[in-house]
Amino acid sequence: MEHKATVAYVFHIGPGGRLACGLAAVRVALRATVLLAALLFASPPGRGADGEAAMLEVWHTFGTNSEDERIFMGAVEAFEAAHPEIAVEPVRIPYLQNLQQFINSSQGGEAPDVVRLSDTELGRIGHISVEGLPLLEDLRPHLTPVQRARFEPRALNAMRYGGALYAIPVSQGTLALLYNKALFDAAGVGYPRDDWTTDDLIAAAKALTGDDVLGIALPIRWSYWFIPFLTGFGATLFDADANPTLDSPGSARALEWYLDLERVHGIAASSTGIETMSTQFQLSRAAMVLDGSWNWNAYVAAGLDLGLAIMPIVADTGNRMGPMLSVFGWSVSKQSASKVEAVKLAQWLSSYDVQKEFAIETYMIPTDLALARDPDIAANSTLNGYLRQTEFGAEVPTTRATYMVFEQLDTALELTSTGQMDARSALEAADEEMERILRQ
Amino acid sequence: MTRHRPDIGAAALLLFGATAGVHAQQVSVDDAAQAYRQIQIDVSYAPSDAIAGFQVWYSSEAFETTRDAELHSTVSVADTTDLERVPGDAVFERCWSDGLPIHRDAAGNPVVSTAATEWSCALTGMTPGAGQWIAVVPVDAEGAPLVDPERLQPVVGRTDVPDERTPPPDTRPVLYALGMVALSAIVLLSFLRWQDVGRGRAKSRLAHIYVAPALIALATLTFYPILYGMWLAFTNADQSRLGDEAWIGLANFATVFASSGLWRVTLFTFVWAVSNVFAHVFLGLVLAVVLNRRGLRGRTVYRTILLLPWAIPGYISVLAWNGMLQPDGLVNAFLGTAIDFFAGANSARSVVILVNIWLGVPFMMMVLSGALQALPSNMYEAAKIDGVSRWDQFRYLTFPNLKGTLVPVSLLSFIWTFNTFNTIYLLTRGNPYVGFGEPGATDTLITYVFAVAFEYGRYGVAAAWSVLIFLMLVGFSWLYLKRTRAMEAAA
Repeated sequence: MEHKATVAYVFHIGPGGRLACGLAAVRVALRATVLLAALLFASPPGRGADGEAAMLEVWHTFGTNSEDERIFMGAVEAFEAAHPEIAVEPVRIPYLQNLQQFINSSQGGEAPDVVRLSDTELGRIGHISVEGLPLLEDLRPHLTPVQRARFEPRALNAMRYGGALYAIPVSQGTLALLYNKALFDAAGVGYPRDDWTTDDLIAAAKALTGDDVLGIALPIRWSYWFIPFLTGFGATLFDADANPTLDSPGSARALEWYLDLERVHGIAASSTGIETMSTQFQLSRAAMVLDGSWNWNAYVAAGLDLGLAIMPIVADTGNRMGPMLSVFGWSVSKQSASKVEAVKLAQWLSSYDVQKEFAIETYMIPTDLALARDPDIAANSTLNGYLRQTEFGAEVPTTRATYMVFEQLDTALELTSTGQMDARSALEAADEEMERILRQ
Repeated sequence: MTRHRPDIGAAALLLFGATAGVHAQQVSVDDAAQAYRQIQIDVSYAPSDAIAGFQVWYSSEAFETTRDAELHSTVSVADTTDLERVPGDAVFERCWSDGLPIHRDAAGNPVVSTAATEWSCALTGMTPGAGQWIAVVPVDAEGAPLVDPERLQPVVGRTDVPDERTPPPDTRPVLYALGMVALSAIVLLSFLRWQDVGRGRAKSRLAHIYVAPALIALATLTFYPILYGMWLAFTNADQSRLGDEAWIGLANFATVFASSGLWRVTLFTFVWAVSNVFAHVFLGLVLAVVLNRRGLRGRTVYRTILLLPWAIPGYISVLAWNGMLQPDGLVNAFLGTAIDFFAGANSARSVVILVNIWLGVPFMMMVLSGALQALPSNMYEAAKIDGVSRWDQFRYLTFPNLKGTLVPVSLLSFIWTFNTFNTIYLLTRGNPYVGFGEPGATDTLITYVFAVAFEYGRYGVAAAWSVLIFLMLVGFSWLYLKRTRAMEAAA
């Protein structure tokens, strides 16, 4: 009816020869509208009927052609062989984009089934919801107490947000004191020992500092490296209720002492960044470095004769420095249509054997308690050293505030290291800013 | 709740012998309390000094011995005087005794008092939609079973409670809006066509149909996102509330204007854009004039070399500069220094501007070089005959004739540079910090909006910033065009 009316309209207003063109134009317009409507209002394709093989999409952040990726892909293949009813599609996402991409895809209803996230990232997304539900599945109902008890309790706690368990911990990371044995030998300085105090650290670093060599490569403006000093001076980032305490007693003293490593002792340089820290150490332009196990292979490949010691005791307080524990785990999306299978995959990827292979090949520190007693792990001095260091690691609650604390601490470090603020004022301002953000 | 009852009974009475005598234990499945992947069992028993705890075994198949089952959990029996009853939300799995949350030891494991006669647990990790065989085995202090582990009588439970899955996002409002935008474009074109046909513009009768696809694409891919962004600026949209936002009027704009660092970041954005455009135009023009000189040998080689920064993907160039400007990078090695160019606010600002100038000059050089080549050579020949100097030729012939190219290109360059993100993000990420909760020293409006949207998750506030940027650019463009037209008219 509408069609006829339109034709008549065109016929009347235009000269006779326009009829055909008018018809064609209207047809094209109508078809375009119908096609557009069909495209816009079509429902998304389903994920497959019951009884079909479950298809899992898993996001990882391992580097292309890296040893990590090789082990991961091997684990996925082994899983598929053991579970022929489940197909897995691994997708590599650049590390820095992983979290934001996961948030976006979740908000668009296209989240992967399984994703690898850190405790800090869990703190970042724990409060985000889509249609009133969190982005991640609470894994508590999925695991038996015995399955859960396999994991290091602090690593497991790091995967909790507001009580829920949002990931199965697969690895933990922490800083330890690495040293270049050749530089120590050349300077006639004794290697770091577990009973070292910060006075010993400074004395050794001074003896090792020369024209082309720094005593210790330390990215002074990065808060992750400052946290061990903060805890060593008895300060805390959060109180028992997870409220920020950046200006807690001892924090200003810790910051002054930390900055004095450059200002007074001249054994560190504030121009050192994370990458330059690694480069300086690799090129034997720094005798010591506070670094994680993730860089161990790079240092070995650079031909360094490496030693590892746990972080020293702060001479002023008698407390051992406690680096922050960072934990990675496998999470399952709340949107997954195959949660039981997704949890099976997450458990497989965090199993004893997979963790062991990662540990031996890439020095990823395991979270499976039984691996600490494994003969191969126990015989590996590097893994053993890092495992000992984790015992002194500072446990930080996984909350929204944890994610935000780094920026405020970084700002405080920037403003104090450039002399724009004193340590106490900077930390008080950082704490105020944290509280302001949390109130929003 | 349970749709398919297993064949085997859901309660088992077990008699077991111990040093203290023979005791009875009953295990039953509470069908009414099932949850996703959880089966609740109720255990009642006669207290005995011999019982130090219970082991819970399970399997998805019938079993009589623990060898054919998997250990699920343990519940200890001990003095609970100093222990606390931990509420359900804080623990990994829920258990009860005496009608209250069960006591927990330091490690969080469930403990029942020695006087207790019953306990319940919601067993986690159960496979949904299938029978689960569950046996509870009392054990002594050494963990040895107090019943014959070869003759267990498991109960069968089953949970069919479905998982809680996020419903697909409600995209209807977006689709309706897109549909309306497309339909409006079609109606507009139909109207224009009707008008043209009515006015006898016969040549244009098909023009609207040819234009339609482009207009519809523009409307849905450009106009709709802009309008959506503007609408977001008046809502409380954030990462935790996207799709469920509410209208809050001008509150986001109030937040923007109350932001510390607003005027600083705006000023730096203009400094950044103006200095870049000036340098791009000036250096581009100089290089174009030099390369356009007659008799210049190796012109193609020079052009190719000068085009390299533009030919290489921008992010690679910027990352290369980032590496070269580090304290142990190539620039410092060349200078014999160890300067941290990114440490100070002013040095970091200078560096990002210089790198962006390096990136942008080749484009301007190519555009102006093309415009120069289009200028008639007889104009210069006549000027030469008249004895006009080279500088005056440039001043009175070249420059005025280039204006038609310079005005739109410099305006475009200003808008592009104003909205440039990669250079700053990859070089400094807006750092160094200059204050708490403020944009960094090298942040421009665009990089700060990115941080507000994707690091702080405040979509509404970021949209308000974006509207402000949009208005700034519209205002600047209008003023610029008005001014340049006035100059042209005066000329």
